[in-house]
Amino acid sequence: MKPKRVPQPPLNPALRDPERHEFWPGFITAVIGAVLLFAGARHLTGIDTVEGGSAWETQLIRAFATSGLQYADRMPPPAPPRLDDPDASAEALDRWAREQAAAAPPSWRIRVDLGAKQACPT
Amino acid sequence: MECPVPQCKQREPTQLGRKLSRLRPWVQTGFLGVWLAPLGQWLHGIPGCVFHCYSCPLSSFGCPVGIAANTAALLPVAFEIPYLLIGMLLLVGALGGSIVCGWACPFGFVQDLLGRLTTRKIALPGWVGHFRYVVLVGLVLLLPLALGFKGIPFEEQVVSICRLCPAGALEAGVPYSVQSLLAGNAWLMSGLKTGILAAFLVSALVIHRPWCRIFCPLGGLLALFNRFSLFHLRFNSKECIECNLCRTRCPMGVKVDQKVNVSGCIRCLECATCGALEPCFAFPKETSAATPREPPPSKPSTAEPPDS
Repeated sequence: MKPKRVPQPPLNPALRDPERHEFWPGFITAVIGAVLLFAGARHLTGIDTVEGGSAWETQLIRAFATSGLQYADRMPPPAPPRLDDPDASAEALDRWAREQAAAAPPSWRIRVDLGAKQACPT
Repeated sequence: MECPVPQCKQREPTQLGRKLSRLRPWVQTGFLGVWLAPLGQWLHGIPGCVFHCYSCPLSSFGCPVGIAANTAALLPVAFEIPYLLIGMLLLVGALGGSIVCGWACPFGFVQDLLGRLTTRKIALPGWVGHFRYVVLVGLVLLLPLALGFKGIPFEEQVVSICRLCPAGALEAGVPYSVQSLLAGNAWLMSGLKTGILAAFLVSALVIHRPWCRIFCPLGGLLALFNRFSLFHLRFNSKECIECNLCRTRCPMGVKVDQKVNVSGCIRCLECATCGALEPCFAFPKETSAATPREPPPSKPSTAEPPDS
C-alpha cells in the first residue's frame, strides 16, 4: 500500500535554512566524550569491594546488572549455630548472641560483590 | 523502483535514498549481533549507546538508562560521577546524534518490525515527544534519587524505570519467565510489567515506534545532539522540487519539509529518498564558506511551525 501523500505546505525552498552544521561544536563535544570514556575506564570509585580495595567504575556498572551491590543495613545477620550439631550447646548459643549484641556495625555502607551473577530482579 | 508518492510524476527516489532504505534493516540486524552477544558479557561494565536491557540473558553492554537510574539512587550513599556513561553519550551524540536510534537500537528494530505488520497508523502530534524528557528527568533521575534518600536501594524501589520498561519485559522478563516455567519454578514476570508489554506490543502495531516517540529517555537525550552533531542532514534547495516526498516518507511524523535536524528525528534517513535532504558530515573547511542564498521569492512562507 502506498503511503498517503502529505500536502506540500506553502514553503519556499529558497528561503529555507540549509541546516549546515558547524564542525567545532560537534568535534569538541566528541573529544570531551572520548576523554570522559577514557577517564571512566581508569576510574577507581570510592566504593569498596567484598574482596577489599576500591571498585573500578566498570565493576560498579556490572554490579548494577548482576545484583552485585550489598548494603550494610540490609545484610542478614550470621546464622546461629545449628541446634542439631552436638558441639552447639546452649553455651554456644549464648556466646553467639553476646557476639551479635556486641558486634560493631560494619565500616562500609555499600560495597560491590564482584562474584554476583544474579540478573537484576526488577 | 516506483515512486511511493501517488500521482507523483515529478521525481523518482534517488539512488542513494533507495540504497539506504534497503540497507537499514540489514544494518539493524547486524547490530543485533553486537547487542545480543552472550560471549561478550564481560562488556557489561561498559554502558551501551542503545536502549537494551542489561538483564537480558544475551545482552553484552550495560543499559545506559538503567545505569543512570542506579547511579541516581546510589547518590545518597556514595557520590559517584558516571564518567563512562556521560562519555559514551557525549561521544555517540556528538558524532551522529540520534542515528543509533534509527540504525542500531534493537528495541527500535522490534518496533519497526511490528509496524510492518499493519499499514494504517495513528498520527501523533509532535509535542508528545517532550514527554521523553519528563521520563528522563522524573523517572530516571529524580525518583530514584528521592527514594534513595529515603534509604531504599534501587532494586527495592517499587516504582522505577526498570520496573515499567517494556524493553526489560521483552528482553529479560519473558526469557526468565519461560526459563522459570521450564525449570518448574514459580517465578513469573509481574502483572504490571506483563500489561505494559502487551500494551506496548499492541500500540506498536498502530503507531510507528510508540516507545521512541513518547517515552524513550535515551532517544530524547541523544536527539538533543541532532542540532550540532557532526553527522547531519543538509537541505539542498536546488534539488527541492516541492514534491514533499521527504515528509511523506518520514515514519516519525517529523515536519522535515520545514526543519530536519530536530529532536523528533531518529535519523533513519528515509527522507533522504527525495534527494533534497542529503546526509553529510561537518568538516572544518566548510564552516567558513557561506551558503549562497537565492533572492527572496514572492511566495509567502506561512507554514505551520516545525517540530521542536
